[in-house]
Amino acid sequence: MSAGRDTVLRLALERFSYSGAEGDTLRDIDLSLAPGSLTVIAGDSGSGKSTLGAVLAGMLPRHGGDELEATLHLAGQEIRHTAGAGPRIDPVGWARQVGMLPQDARHYLSGVRETVEEELALGLENAGVPRARMRERIAALADRLGLHALLPRDPGKLSGGQERLVALAALALDAPPVLVLDEPLAGLDAAAAARVSALVGRLRSASTALVLLTRSRDRLAAGADRVLFLRGGSCHEADTAVAPRTATAANRRPLSHASVLLEFAGVDLGYAASAEPIVAGLDLRLRAGECVALTGPNGSGKTTVLKAAAGLLRPGAGEIVHRTNPGGSVGMLLQNPADQLFERTVHREVAFGLPRRGPEAARVPAVLDALGLAAAADTHPYELPASARRLVALATVLVREPMVLLLDEPTEALDAHGVERLHMALGAVLERGGAVLLASHDEAFMAAAAHRVHRLGAPGGIRA
Amino acid sequence: MPRTAPLHPFTVLALAAAVVATTTAAGRWWLSCTVLLGCLLLAVWARRARRLAGLAAAILAPAWGSQLLIHGMVDTAGSQVLAAAGPLRITAEGLRLAAELGLRTAVLVVAGLLCTLLIDRHDLVAAVDLSGAPPQLGYLVAATLSLLPRLAQRQRAIGEAQALRGAAAGAGPLGWWRRVRLRSVPLVLSALQDAADRSTHLAARGFPAAGPHTRLRSVPDSAGQRRLRRIAMACIVLGPLAVLAPTWMELA
Repeated sequence: MSAGRDTVLRLALERFSYSGAEGDTLRDIDLSLAPGSLTVIAGDSGSGKSTLGAVLAGMLPRHGGDELEATLHLAGQEIRHTAGAGPRIDPVGWARQVGMLPQDARHYLSGVRETVEEELALGLENAGVPRARMRERIAALADRLGLHALLPRDPGKLSGGQERLVALAALALDAPPVLVLDEPLAGLDAAAAARVSALVGRLRSASTALVLLTRSRDRLAAGADRVLFLRGGSCHEADTAVAPRTATAANRRPLSHASVLLEFAGVDLGYAASAEPIVAGLDLRLRAGECVALTGPNGSGKTTVLKAAAGLLRPGAGEIVHRTNPGGSVGMLLQNPADQLFERTVHREVAFGLPRRGPEAARVPAVLDALGLAAAADTHPYELPASARRLVALATVLVREPMVLLLDEPTEALDAHGVERLHMALGAVLERGGAVLLASHDEAFMAAAAHRVHRLGAPGGIRA
Repeated sequence: MPRTAPLHPFTVLALAAAVVATTTAAGRWWLSCTVLLGCLLLAVWARRARRLAGLAAAILAPAWGSQLLIHGMVDTAGSQVLAAAGPLRITAEGLRLAAELGLRTAVLVVAGLLCTLLIDRHDLVAAVDLSGAPPQLGYLVAATLSLLPRLAQRQRAIGEAQALRGAAAGAGPLGWWRRVRLRSVPLVLSALQDAADRSTHLAARGFPAAGPHTRLRSVPDSAGQRRLRRIAMACIVLGPLAVLAPTWMELA
C-alpha cells in the first residue's frame, strides 16, 4: 500500500498499547492527511487523542515496552511497526515532517534560553540557519501574531496562554508539512485566538496539513475538512456521545444584601522584578453565594489577582479584606495541575496536609466520589488523563470546604464530563454560602457559571 | 540591578585563570591580598559585593578551619612554639603556612565566584555553542546552568501549592528543616517528570545540534579581547614558570 500523491501522511493503525497497560489505547484507525487539510480529532479526556498525536509525531512508541502495530507513509517512505519490532525513529528527521504542539505547551519550551526571541530561534539555530535570516523570519512571524512585546520576555515567566502562543509560533517557524496541535486555543484570550486562527488559515494556504486534537468543536474546528470522534481508542465519523446535562451555578441568583466575603479596595499588584504593577487600582467585592469571573488578555494579571486573594502575594497598594467566618478558608485551584500534585496516589494527594482524624480527612472519599474519582483513589495522579488530573487538583481544594474558592482557568484540560462535575462543585460551594472567583477565557463557561464578569485591561500595552 | 561584564565570557575566564595561576605560584601574601581587594572592587562595581562575600564565606570558613587545624594547631616541624598541650602544638611557622594556604585558597574561590557573578550564563552557553566545541558540551553547560534557576522556580511553586493546602512550615531552623522535608521529594520527582516531558520535544527541535549550528544571540567580542585571551593563556603557562624557575634552578 502506498500513500496517494495528494497525501502527505497516511496512518493505518491496527493497535497501540503503552508499556505495562492491560488494554489497547488505540485501535483500528485509518487516517490520510492531504496538504492544506484540517482534520479534527475530537474526544473526551482519556480517549487517546494525545496518544494518537504522539504516534503521528513519531514520539510514540517508546523503545522498550510500548507496542504499535501500524504502517505510516511519510515523506515518500513506508514505516512499518510490528508487534515487538519497529524501526528506530530519528526525532529530528521526523520533526522536520511532523511538528507537534503538546497539550501542556510548557513542555515544548526548552527552558534554556533567556528570551522568547531566542526560544523561537532554537529549532532554526540547530538547523544552522544564518542569524540575519533567523531575525527576518522571527520578525515576520511576530508581526503576524502580534508577538513583538513578548520577544524580549523571559519564557519562564509567561502566562499559560502566552506559553501556548510562543510554542505555536516556534512550531510555525520550523514549518513542517504536517502540524499536530493539541488544544491550540486553550487559555488564549480572544485576540490571541483570532491571530492563531488566522495563522492556521495561512498555514493551510501554504499546504501545511493540520491535525487538531480537541475536546470541543471550537472556532478552529469549524473550518475542518474532516471531523473524527475518538472514543475508546477508535475513530468514528459521527458523534454519538451523550452530552452531559449541566446544572449551572449561575441559575441561582446571589442575594444583593449577602455579606461580603472578599474585597479588593484600590489594590495594586505586581512582582518585585517588574517596575510597573501588573494590576492597578483593582476594586472588587465578592459576596456570599456569588460567582465572579475574571477575564482579560493573556498576561493581564488574572492569576496575580487570584494569588493575592489566596494570600500568596501582598498588594503594593490598597487593601485585600477577607471576611469569612471563623474556620472559613480560601482555597485555590492553580492553572497547571502539575504545580499542585505531588503525592503517590490520588487519595494521599487529596488528604495531604489534613489532620488524620479530623473531619476533613473523613470527607476525602465523598469528595472523590462527587468528582468521579473514587475508582482512581489508588492511582498515581500522573497516570490519569489530563481532565481527571485537573479534577484531582480540584478535589485537593474542595476537601477543605473553602468559603472562598479561587479557580485559575478551571475548564482548561477538562472534558465535558469534567465541566459537569465542576459546575456541580461550584453549585455546592455557593449553596453553603461560599463564593467563587474564577479566571478564565472560556466565554461559554463564564456565561454558564458566573453571575458577573470582571474584565482586566492589558498590562502596559502587552497583549499576547 | 546587578551588572555583568560587557566582555566575552572566555575573556573573563582566561583572565581569572591567569591571575589565579600566577598568584598561586607566587605565594606572596601581599599579592594575594591585592587580588582579593581587586575582586571585591569588581564585585562592588557589579553590585554583587554582598553576594560575593556571603558565598565566599560559606565556602572559605570550613576550608580555612581545616587548614588551621592541620597546619596551625598540630604542627610538628616548626621551631617557634607558641603553645603546646597534649597533641596540640601551635607554632609560628605552622600559623604562617596555614595563613598562606588560606590566602591562596581564598584567591581561587573568590576569583571563581566573581566569574560566576560577572558572566551572563546565557552568554557563556552561546559562547560555548559558537566556539566550535562539540554541541554536547554546549548542551551540558546549558542544562547545568539552567538547572538551579529552574529548580528554584519549581520549589517556589511547590511551596505555594503546599501553603495553599495549609502545610505551613513555620520559621527558624525547625521550619527550614520541615520545608526541606516537605519539598524535596516533590521537587525531585517533578524535576524528573519535567525533564522527561521536555526531552522528546527538545530532541525533535534538534537540541543538541548534530551538525553545523548557529546562534541568534551574539556574544560581545573583539580583536583586542582575542589578543587579551591569548596573552592570558600564555600567562597561565608562563607566569608560574617564570615564578618557579629560579627556585628550581637553585635546587638544581
